[in-house]
Amino acid sequence: MRAAGSNKLVPVLCTVLPAFIMLLLPPDLLASSLPSAAPTVWWIWVLLLFVFSFFLGIVSVLAGVGGGVLFVPIVSSFFPFHLDFVRGAGLLVALSGALSAGPSLLRKGLADLKLSLPLSLIGSVSSIAGAIAGLMMSADSVQLLLGIAIISIAAIMMKAGKSGYPEVGESDVIAKALGISGSYYEPTIDETVNWKVHRTPIGLVLFFFIGFIGGMFGMGAGWANVPVLNLLMGAPLKVAVATSGLVLSMNGAAAAWIYLYKGAVLPLIAVPAVGGVMLGSKIGARMLTKVNTGSVRIVVIVMMVIAGLRSIIKGMGL
Amino acid sequence: MSGKKREKAEIDQVQLVYASVLDVVSHIGMALIAAGFLIYVLKLLPLTVSIEDVAAHWHMRAAEMNRILTVPSGWSWVQDPLHGDVLSYFSIVFLSMAAMICLVSVIPVFLGEKNRTYALIALLQVIVLAAAVVGIAS
Repeated sequence: MRAAGSNKLVPVLCTVLPAFIMLLLPPDLLASSLPSAAPTVWWIWVLLLFVFSFFLGIVSVLAGVGGGVLFVPIVSSFFPFHLDFVRGAGLLVALSGALSAGPSLLRKGLADLKLSLPLSLIGSVSSIAGAIAGLMMSADSVQLLLGIAIISIAAIMMKAGKSGYPEVGESDVIAKALGISGSYYEPTIDETVNWKVHRTPIGLVLFFFIGFIGGMFGMGAGWANVPVLNLLMGAPLKVAVATSGLVLSMNGAAAAWIYLYKGAVLPLIAVPAVGGVMLGSKIGARMLTKVNTGSVRIVVIVMMVIAGLRSIIKGMGL
Repeated sequence: MSGKKREKAEIDQVQLVYASVLDVVSHIGMALIAAGFLIYVLKLLPLTVSIEDVAAHWHMRAAEMNRILTVPSGWSWVQDPLHGDVLSYFSIVFLSMAAMICLVSVIPVFLGEKNRTYALIALLQVIVLAAAVVGIAS
């Protein structure tokens, strides 16, 4: 038993520790050690971003969080890129992850198009508004609010429970009218799970606010989508996680265009981030069965709190 | 939850169509992203703005950088597409349009199923995304 536990700990240490040590370094240490303006070092930053994003991809899969929520606060603290470009890249990180996982989740019936469409319609409008507001605000204000948001998200992740198969008595009027229900085959219990949802009106209101926050900070919103779909609306956990990605692919695209028009998406930053996270996610998925994901989740929450505090300090100009 | 033993759950036709289109679009998008970036950083085509110039200004706000450099933004790149940085930017543009392409493809399926409500919701979602894509929302 002890040997098995040690085996599970090794991959955790190898993936989480480098990221954790980076977080504990003094603010702007990396940024100040390599002058961003020097013409010869651009590729070092691009390479570092790719390596960081790769580890982030592994950690985010193991912890069950989207890469975007960790990407923005950490990269904006440790890399010389302005927060505008980090948020633009963060949206693309969240968007591309959702797009690549989408087809298989849709075919299995885990991601549900009818559940996602009304929520993403509301959310995409507000994510556009959030992106416009975020790009109009001063960078320090956004950094400060980002720190507060990240710490709040960490608190939600700690407090929010999850329910594999929530009990839903009767669907609400909107869910009935739209025919929001579905089924999927669950191999762990060898049964087809039929599900329906309730409290859709409250869910729509919450998705408006979630979309706004996601657009403003350039983050994915799985941290909020999943609890609302699962705990509030009563979708089974797997359906909530998969459908959250589908919603994100539409909300993220809407907000990404605001950043594209404002010139806040640089391929030099966005592409290594997307490539690193996607490659890391694939490795993370393979490690999933070998790693104690509960421990990783706790470490990630601690990382988020530290990253959030650093954002607040940076935003206050201290 | 209610359940009965069964190998496969029934999946809506419209959902399968969306999945198929998304599969193709996301694979094309990822291939374009990788190819475009290699062309960009290896400087296989001329660049509109040198990588060194971008790196020298990436600490600035996007608005400030855009006043100094003419990096691709929105649809500005269409006028002069044969540049390494423009091709890499185009790959990101394509990826950002993936959801809209999928939605457009399922509207006829919803209409074929006489599901006018969802056809309308999908159409409204396309209009919101199109407003963002053409810059009305910006």
